[in-house]
This record gives sequence, structure tokens and C-alpha cells, in this order.
Amino acid sequence: MLSLPVLAQVVVNGVNLGAIYILMALGFTMIFGIMRIVNFAHGAFAMLGGFALYFLLMDAHVPFLLALPLGALLVGAGSLLAERFVLRHLYHNELQGMIATLGLSMVMIYLAAIVFGVSQRSVPAVYSEIFFFGPLVVPMDRLVVLGIAAVTLLLFFLFMRYTKPGLAMRVAAQDLEVAEAQGINAAAHYQAAFFIASSLAALAGGLIGQLYALSPFMGATPLMKSFIVVILGGLGSIPGAALGGLLLGMAESSLTTFFGASTAQLASFGIVMLVLVLRPQGLFGHAERDS
Amino acid sequence: MNKVAKLLAALATAALCLSPMPLLAKDLTIGAIGTLSGGATDWGVATQRGVQLAIDEVNAQGGLKIGGETYTPHLIIYDDQYTGQGGATAATRLVNADHAKFIIGPIGTPPTLAALAITTPAKVLMLDDGFSPKILGPKNTYNFRISATPQEFAPAMIGWLKKNYPKTKRVAIVDPNDSVGQQVMPILLKGYKADGFDVAFTEMYDRSTKDFTPLLTRMMANKIDVLDLSSSAPAEAGLLLKQARQVGFKGVIIQIGGPSVEENLAVAGPLAEDFISFDFFNPDNPLAKKFGDAYAKKYGSTMSSWCPVMYNAAKILFEAMHRANSIDVDAVKAELPKMTGYETIFGPLHWGGKETYGIDHQLLADIVIEQVKDGKIVRRDVVSMY
Amino acid sequence: MTARPAMTAAAADNRGSRFSASHMSAVAVIVVMAAWPGAIASSESFLLYVGTLVVLYSVGAMSLHLVFRMGQVSFAHAAFLGIGGYTSALLLTGSGLSWPLAFCASGLVSGLFGLLLGPIVLRLRGVYFVLFTFILCEFAERVFTDWGSLTNGAGGVAGIPAPPAFSSPVSFYYLCLGVAVLCALICRGVLKSDVGEAIDAIRTSESLAESNGVPVFRIKVAIFAISCLLVGFQGALQASFVHYISPASYTFDESLRFVVMNVIGGMNSLWGPVLGSVFIIALPELLRNWVEYQWVLYGVVLVLAMRYLPGGLYELGERASALLRKGGA
Repeated sequence: MLSLPVLAQVVVNGVNLGAIYILMALGFTMIFGIMRIVNFAHGAFAMLGGFALYFLLMDAHVPFLLALPLGALLVGAGSLLAERFVLRHLYHNELQGMIATLGLSMVMIYLAAIVFGVSQRSVPAVYSEIFFFGPLVVPMDRLVVLGIAAVTLLLFFLFMRYTKPGLAMRVAAQDLEVAEAQGINAAAHYQAAFFIASSLAALAGGLIGQLYALSPFMGATPLMKSFIVVILGGLGSIPGAALGGLLLGMAESSLTTFFGASTAQLASFGIVMLVLVLRPQGLFGHAERDS
Repeated sequence: MNKVAKLLAALATAALCLSPMPLLAKDLTIGAIGTLSGGATDWGVATQRGVQLAIDEVNAQGGLKIGGETYTPHLIIYDDQYTGQGGATAATRLVNADHAKFIIGPIGTPPTLAALAITTPAKVLMLDDGFSPKILGPKNTYNFRISATPQEFAPAMIGWLKKNYPKTKRVAIVDPNDSVGQQVMPILLKGYKADGFDVAFTEMYDRSTKDFTPLLTRMMANKIDVLDLSSSAPAEAGLLLKQARQVGFKGVIIQIGGPSVEENLAVAGPLAEDFISFDFFNPDNPLAKKFGDAYAKKYGSTMSSWCPVMYNAAKILFEAMHRANSIDVDAVKAELPKMTGYETIFGPLHWGGKETYGIDHQLLADIVIEQVKDGKIVRRDVVSMY
Repeated sequence: MTARPAMTAAAADNRGSRFSASHMSAVAVIVVMAAWPGAIASSESFLLYVGTLVVLYSVGAMSLHLVFRMGQVSFAHAAFLGIGGYTSALLLTGSGLSWPLAFCASGLVSGLFGLLLGPIVLRLRGVYFVLFTFILCEFAERVFTDWGSLTNGAGGVAGIPAPPAFSSPVSFYYLCLGVAVLCALICRGVLKSDVGEAIDAIRTSESLAESNGVPVFRIKVAIFAISCLLVGFQGALQASFVHYISPASYTFDESLRFVVMNVIGGMNSLWGPVLGSVFIIALPELLRNWVEYQWVLYGVVLVLAMRYLPGGLYELGERASALLRKGGA
């Protein structure tokens, strides 16, 4: 098992899994960091992103590379409705916010089930070639997903690092009172952050739809992975989400390949619990203060 | 403070008022239980649509004319949430609140076993499906299983595989780690070994898995000739199929644990080429064709494999009522086993299962073996379970 | 059966003058619940079934209320419900132990797990506690699924008997009601005692409580263990009620249900989880007639409740009674 080609394949698979986990977890951790809301509807926005891509491709015949960001932005814009009518009233209210987003996600999922139907469908593969690099096998669709994820993450980090709104969001995530004292308009940044977070989820949903399949319930798994990623990386920490996502992807890939799926599942839960106990703030997070 | 109690009392009253209205005399309640929430929602929808289509047919002919009366069947379906508690709740509501005497569904072991604990003592006839052998037994006389399980069809399928692909030897079986997978895996292991195959790789994955490449990378190291997707649900089976080809697997991919060719093709696209599985549904059968057209006319979209199964159950039930000339549960129950040979969409009706379960309440049928060729589903063979 | 509620009501009338308003509403609720079978037995035994479920879930919801009062939100309650359920189911079907013994064992085993896991879990606070308990719940479900030799795997355990003396639906309802009242008394006892004050101090500020000499950690572990013990009893009752359990009965959704009951009902009073369980169990049953839309409506109700009723149904009750008082005066 421990041959070079297998190891290389494990790395390729792991990076691929990680890329999608990161896209999902970034928005999730951002919403928590800035608004203190555990957003249970994050997976439902991913699901909408998948369907947006599907209809843009199939009905509007928009080319894939355009349809993907367009669908994500559409869902992001739609998410502002949820922000306006539901979340705005519940910021910094961890518990009520959590239950409300849970209700929101149920509404979105079961409405989608009524509108789109419940059977599985797939976004037709735009890229179906398979490359063989010696013993290493890499399908084209995964390369494309990897490329899109890499570009998005790069843009996201540049935005957060070098633009004024990005900086303001980071300050707000670190300490809301300081941010408001410095004249940062929290409400506007909340909207912007929610838009970005939901768009990222929708983009991830589109990629999931391309690689895997679409259904109204497809958001559940990515949501759960986001939970795990932010535990590993630390809630609210953006670099933590990036590292945590990669870590989870690699761990799943290698543990499953070497030890089998059930063992990998139990082991990964065990590891996460261990991390929480030994380093509750995650690998990159800040310690929770006693309020 | 004591207003809280008043509120509670008001809520209780509201619960009483909102409960369903009593039924009209000649209405015939057909209860159904299906999963209408969570990942298996398509099963419940298939149940609802299948039974409704059968009811539509009856009502288009002016209802059921039985014993000088005309009955208009109507469907009441409840969600079982794919849990024991949900199945029990749905069954209790159908039996006690809606006074249903005939129930179709649920699909799946947890809701079925829990619903049976309610319907059997209440003497309510249930036509259900779940893979657990405990569902059928000499004591569960008010219960019929209206779809075959791997216990019935796996030997026939494995025999067909051996005959048509004699050079294959090393088999991989991949199952979901749930009540279905845990039930099916040992049956297939035994079946393959009995036919001289070498099961070189078995794996049970978590139901939430979407990316199987790590699992398949592990499989590739085992020099496998045949990959059996076993009881994987359509969502996962299609992805396994697609990803197996993407990691470079060149052998035979077959699914013996359950029928879902159409859905797998939808998910895997061109990478589904050469995939082999089966269906109970033979479009050559004129009754089946008629049903397929009716489905397309009313619902349009892709049809779940469960839909004809549930339609079939309702058809068999109505025919039994006709033959018994009664809607009395015991009369209908007594009539059902005598219906051997009745033409259904799956061919002539046949009950079996006495040797395995101690009661002949297991529906048996022909299996249509299908393969994907040039992106289309092609019929390879028809084999019998009995 | 009809004599019993009447007697209780009479007793309440005689002694009402000496009782506070809180006592009176407690008695009133018990009367309503005790009269429930009599009121409905004639036509709708399904409502009796729903009533039993409500009473059952109020046990778990009230036990979780104790954890809420410490300022913690646990998503692991389904795991302990499952430990209780499996303990009694396996003892009853496997070893043929008598029902009362299996029932006691279920609570004790679940409480013991709480006592063992508590010191690890309770080192965490706030969202980290939430996340850990979430993972714990998922982990437990996997163990129930994978440990086939003990739990019979995902196929579950069937044929779990009801207690012989309480096999009729009405008597089983009263058994559950008895357990729920007992559970309410225990929870109330804890909350009204010195420990209750310490819990409130812990919720306000752990470090302050610590510096005032409150043995914070020990109290937290003890309360967590009591909570697990009580929900274990629910697990046993529920297993005998449904006669079947499987890992699918103890998923994250089930944990969520307990949390939602507490949040919807209200977190500042023991009435909260009781009201929450009435609402959360009854609501889907009422919505079942709109089976296609039931989950959409359920979600809408959750959102609206959080938006307009952050203090839960209990707050609604208080607001309404304040309004009535004003109108009366």
C-alpha cells in the first residue's frame, strides 16, 4: 500500500477534498467570527448554488466558467433577503441565531424539494477527460475544481488582506467594540460579510454539483464538514479554516485509503474531540473569554 | 403564571379541533407510510406517486365496486422520517386516527419494524418493504413484503455474472454502513463464495460520503475484477460508479444489492458505460408500459425504481378486494396468497419465502438484467427468482 | 380512569389557597395532563399516543434545562438518550431482566457515562462545548451502528416489551406522566436548592462564582450527570413505547429537538422545556395533514418564534398574563 503512486494519489485526493471544505468553511467561520451566529443555513446556500449552476447551464446555456461565479453571486444576492428579514435581528445572539438559521435552512431545503423535486440529478460533466501521469490518475473535472478553488481563495485572501472593507471585517471579527469605536459601520459590513460567505458556499455547492450530484439535501454533509473544519482551525479564524480544511481533507484521504472508511470516520471524530479538549480554541483560534 | 396553564389547555384544545374529520361512508382509506424528509425523501415520494396512480386508475373507472357498494379509495400518507419512532407514529396515526385498515409502505427496516409493532396487533394489513429478515415471520400474518430482497435475487444475479463473465474472479463489495448495507453484505459474501468467487475487498462507508476516491484508491491496490456497488442508494451508487472509472478502474461494475440503473446513469453520465444492474420493471410488459406512460403524463420527471413497486402493491391490494368481494381485512388477507398468476407490471404474481422466513408472504418476480451501452440502458437478460 | 383526574382536581381546589401561583399552574398542568386520556379516549387514541410522546420528551427536555441553566448548550443529549434506550432494550430482550430493574439500569448507565464524560466535556465553554457535544453525538451514533455484536448494528433491536403492568396505552401514559412529574420535582428541587443558586452564579460568571468559593467544576459535573441520568430514563420508556430502537433514533436531529424545545419553550424557567415539548411534538402532528409542506411550515414557525419571541413560549405566556392583569385592573 505504501508505494509512491498510492501516496501521490492520496495527496491528490486529499487536496481536492480539502479545497471544497475550505470554500465551505471560510464563509461559515466568517459569519461566526463577525456576527457570532452558527449558521445552520450555510449548507442550504450551497445547495442553492448547485441548483443555480444547473439551471444556468441547462436552461440559460451559460458557459460553465461564467455560470459558476454568476450562480454564486445570484445566491449571494438572494441571501441578503435572509440577512434582512431573519439574521439582522439576531446578531450576537448565539442561541436564538442558531435556531433561527436552522428554521431558515428547513424552509429552504423543503421548498427546494417541492420546487426542484427530490430525485438526484447531476450537472452534466463539462470536463470528462481523465489524465494518467504515469501511475497517477487525475480526472480533468477535479483539476478544474482545484483551479477554481485556488483562484477563489487567492482572491478572497487578497480582498481580506489589502482592501479597506476586508480589513474592516477582520477588525470586526477580532473585536466588535473596537471596530465600532473606530467608526466602522457594522451593519454594512455584516451585509457584505454575509453576501461573501453565502456566495462562497454557493460556489462550493456548484463545484459539489459538478463533481458529485445535486439534491435538496446535498448541503448536510458540507455543513457538517464545515463544523469539523472550524473546530480544527478555530472558530472565527480565517487562516484556521484554510488550514483546517486542508488537514481534514488529507486526514480523510489517508485514513480511508490505509485503514478503511469506518475506521477513518471514527478516528477523525476521535481526533477532533482530542483537539477540542487539548486546544479548545483550535489550531489558530483565540480562547473564548468568560463572559 | 397560571395563564401558562391556560395556554397549555388552549393548545390541547386546538390539537383536538384540528384532528382529521370523520370519513364519509363509502370512502376507502388507503394508508401509506413513506420517508418524506431527509436524504431518503425520494422513497416517500415514490410511494405517494405509485399508490396515487393506482388509485387514479380505480377512480377513473368509477371506483371499486365491491359487495354491491361502490368505494372511492383515497390516499393518506405520513412521513416516517426513516426512523423507528417516525414509523410507529405514522402507523399509530393511520390505524387509530384515520382508521385505515390497509397500509402500503414503509420502505426500509427501521420504520417497517416499528410500524409492524403497531399494525400487527391492530390487525391492519400492511404491504411494506425492508431488507431485514425479521420483517417476515409466521406470526406476522397481516404483513406482506412486496419487493424482493437480496436474499431472493442475489443468487440469481451472481449466477448470471458467473455465466457471462467466467474470467472474473476477485470481487469487491461496497455497501453503506446502515441497516440496508449491514443486512446485504453478509448475503452477498455468502452468495459470491458459493459461486466460487474470491471476495478480496469489502468496505462499508458512511451514508454521508460523497467522495469515494480514497476508498477506491484503497480498492485499486487489491487487483479487483468486479466491483459490486451492492445496496448503495442511487445517490452514492452513481458517484461510486463515476469515481471508480475516474481512479482508473477497468473491470466490471455491477450492482446486485438493489435496482437503480436509471438514476445511476443520470449521475455518472458517460462514465456509466458498461455498468450492469437489474430492474424488476420490464418495459416490454404491456401493463408496465401503460404505467410508465401514466407516470410520465402525471409527473414527468425521472421515475424512482420504488414507484412501480408501490403502484404494484396497491394494484394487488385492489385486486384482492375484488376477488374477496369485500373490504374486510381478514377476507382480503386470506385472498392475497391465492392470487398466484395474477398479471402484474412485474409479470405473474408469485408468493414465496416459506423456507427462509416460515411464511409465504414474500413477493417474487422476474429480474431484468440491464447494462448501459452507448449511454442507453439495454436489456441483457431476464432471469427468475423462483 | 375518570375518577382519578377528578380527585386530583378536588385536591387542588381544597389546598389552592395555600399555594403560590406557580404551584397552582403546576397542579393545573398536571390535571390537564392527567385528564388527557379521559378527554380523548372515546375517539382519538392517536392523541393519547401524541400525549405520551409529549410527556416522554418533556423528561429529556427538562433534564437538558439543567444544563442550559449552567449557561451550556449540549447537543449530546441524543447520545445519552440512546445509552438509556440501548441499556434497557438489550437487558430486556437479551437477559430477560425484569422491567423495573432494566429501567433503573438505563438511567444509571446513562448517568454513569455522564459522570465519566462530564469532566472532559465540561472543561469547554460556550461554542466549544456546543461543538464538542455535537461531535460526541455523531460519535455515539457511529458506535451504535458499528458495534454490531452488542447493539445489533443499524438493524436495531426489535420486540422491546412494555412493562407488564403498564401494557395498555392509557396505563403506559400514566407511567410516563408519573416519571415526568418525578423528573420535574427533581429538577425543581435542584434549581431551588443551594446548588440552584450556585448554578445561576456559574451562568453569570464562572470566575466570580469560583472566587466566592463555589466548587464550580464539581457542581457542573454533578448537574451534567443528573441530566444524563434523567434522559436515560426517557430512553428506556421510549424504547418500550415504540418497541423498537435503532441508531437512526439517536441522531443529531434528536439532540437538536431537545435544544429547540428548550429555546422555543423558554430558557429561564422549568416551564420552558415543558411548553417546548408540547409545541415541538404536537406541531408536526398537526401539520401532518399538509404532509408536503409540514417541514417548510415547521421551519417558518422556528424562524418567527426566534424573531418575535426570543424568550420562548414562556415569555408569551407571561406577556399574555401581564396583559390580562392590566385588562382586569
